[in-house]
Amino acid sequence: MNERESLLRRLSAACGSHGSPAGEPLPGEAPMAAESDRVALFAKTFAAAGGVLLRGPVEMALSDLGEILRAEGVTALFFPEGDAAAREIAEALVPFGPFNLTTGAEVRGGSAAATAGFRTAEAAIAETGTIVETSAGGRTLLPGLVADVHVAIVPAASLVARMEEALAAISADPPRNISFLSGPSRTGDIEQTLTIGAHGPRKAIALLLG
Amino acid sequence: MELNANAFGRNARKALLDKKLQGALERATERFLAHRDAAVAEFPEFEATRERASRIKRDVLDHLDTYLAHFIEEAEKRGAIVHVARDAAQAREIAARIARDEGVTLAVKSKSMASEEISLNEALQGAGVTVVESDLGEYIVQLAGETPSHIIAPAVHKTREEISRLFERHLGEPRTESIPELVGMARKHLRGKFLSAGMGVSGGNFLVADTGSVVLVTNEGNGRMGTVLPRVHLAVVGIEKVIPRMADLPTFLRLLPRSATGQAISSYVSIVTGTRRAGDPEGPDRMHILLLDCGRSAILEGKYREVLKCLRCGACLNTCPVYQSVGGHAYGWVYSGPIGAVLTPLLVGLPEAAALPDASTLCGACADVCPVKIPLPDFLLELRSDAREQGLKTPGEIAAMKGYAGVMQRAGLLEAIERIAGVLGQFFTKGKGIGGMPYPFSGWTERRDFPVPAKLPFRKQWKIKRGVTR
Repeated sequence: MNERESLLRRLSAACGSHGSPAGEPLPGEAPMAAESDRVALFAKTFAAAGGVLLRGPVEMALSDLGEILRAEGVTALFFPEGDAAAREIAEALVPFGPFNLTTGAEVRGGSAAATAGFRTAEAAIAETGTIVETSAGGRTLLPGLVADVHVAIVPAASLVARMEEALAAISADPPRNISFLSGPSRTGDIEQTLTIGAHGPRKAIALLLG
Repeated sequence: MELNANAFGRNARKALLDKKLQGALERATERFLAHRDAAVAEFPEFEATRERASRIKRDVLDHLDTYLAHFIEEAEKRGAIVHVARDAAQAREIAARIARDEGVTLAVKSKSMASEEISLNEALQGAGVTVVESDLGEYIVQLAGETPSHIIAPAVHKTREEISRLFERHLGEPRTESIPELVGMARKHLRGKFLSAGMGVSGGNFLVADTGSVVLVTNEGNGRMGTVLPRVHLAVVGIEKVIPRMADLPTFLRLLPRSATGQAISSYVSIVTGTRRAGDPEGPDRMHILLLDCGRSAILEGKYREVLKCLRCGACLNTCPVYQSVGGHAYGWVYSGPIGAVLTPLLVGLPEAAALPDASTLCGACADVCPVKIPLPDFLLELRSDAREQGLKTPGEIAAMKGYAGVMQRAGLLEAIERIAGVLGQFFTKGKGIGGMPYPFSGWTERRDFPVPAKLPFRKQWKIKRGVTR
């Protein structure tokens, strides 16, 4: 008998009589306060998580975005190949900088310049102020992972109310990586002082379109 | 980790004399508590969510064999390799073999209490692997050659001056008073490690049975880096971390960050399932999941089963008057606070940690904040009784308790003793309390001051208050 079978046998004995079948009925999901306006709720929760929400029209948002990126010292922009919306925004931003376009591969190799990574989010969750990015369909995670500033492009239609909805859409056959990103990377490990930019992006920006 | 739990008294005394630690503990636990309370107050569904989570966890424990088998099947279906370790020695052996077989020389590790249980780092180092802790607190503790002192804030006992000195010595960085600068230094050094490491080692906050996923909750983003960038991912997780369905995950995500840090959600939740798929630009080629029994199946069998519901949020530590006073190191092993006082004796054996269940005032605050309703005070009391039955109490302690019980059952005798104590107490009173009592009471008063006994017996005072007598 191998270690695995032996463990499962120990557990069977320890679990007891199995009086009730697995997955006995649970109390109903906790009701959440009704929130008719998902966008308003997302604006509130994303800000609470430390994120910066920008909304269309795109021309207006671009100028604000350019200003934020310059203030963060960003000089290099990158986006996934095949992410048309991210490419469009990043390219349109070039005149607002001094910004160069670079690639995820270069940034992964270790970029000296401060970078902004652009990517279209798969979903956003109003309940928690969360951007959802996954590796489904061979998509890259680098913009929200290694960039100094992450710019998530969120089509308004992809904004859902609760975590359950975002997970239901992807849990039948989950990709290798499902990431919930809620605000910038942070740590409180030194003297319990909240400090932004531990390992991930120092700034989390969501651009809500449509 | 080396076990030193029965030295709780000595460890606690050292901690109480450490002024710097006292300041840090007070700041940290107060802040955690205030944030937690605010987050719970802002979330009216907290109680209902807590009840639901508690029931899900109970269902898991009633059917852990079924759910764990399901988890293993689903994880392997998606390319993960699942290993099972009965005890710490076996777990170390498996981890070392994985590292050697995968040809790993550098590993980045995110925080995992389970890995501390089995002393994973030593095992990997023995296999020729340099292991770098990537959680900032763990990194600091590793540079200092120490062990974590809080489940979610491992370096809670370190000041910025000490950290800057460590970074100067080990990283060649200039001294600074600025916390953001210190964080920036660690970010720079660790980024290089993430990009060059062959293996990312993680724990797991949850294992999802119906998808075979491992879920990591972090604020820094280190768990995410370590599971996306290196070519091998090793997750070391206790078997009790299973939840039945992905659909159950939100319930737990609504409780864990609120209870731990007072956030509505942590910055990053990574749900990783199997290896990278064809066409994925990132993600590991190999995923190993090392499931630890290490005493858990034995706990499942007994009366303390519900302790396995623990989410490792740390709320019971922050709210515990004993933890607030002595910090994590005093508990002498991986887990501290009320959960440690229950879990450690159960995992390492009561004789090895019989001092811990006594490290509690039984005030009940831990049960009030536990997000999955573990009856910690009941368990602490029950463990004390077990210790008595196993002959782990001293004859003096047993005699004292018997005497106490005898007195408490006789009202007249109690009243007489209270009157005598009321008079005698005045002779030993120093300032606010009684200290420096003669042997055999010196064992108590050396460690703490007793409140001065009232001049009148309690029942007498009660009667006067109610106007029954004068």
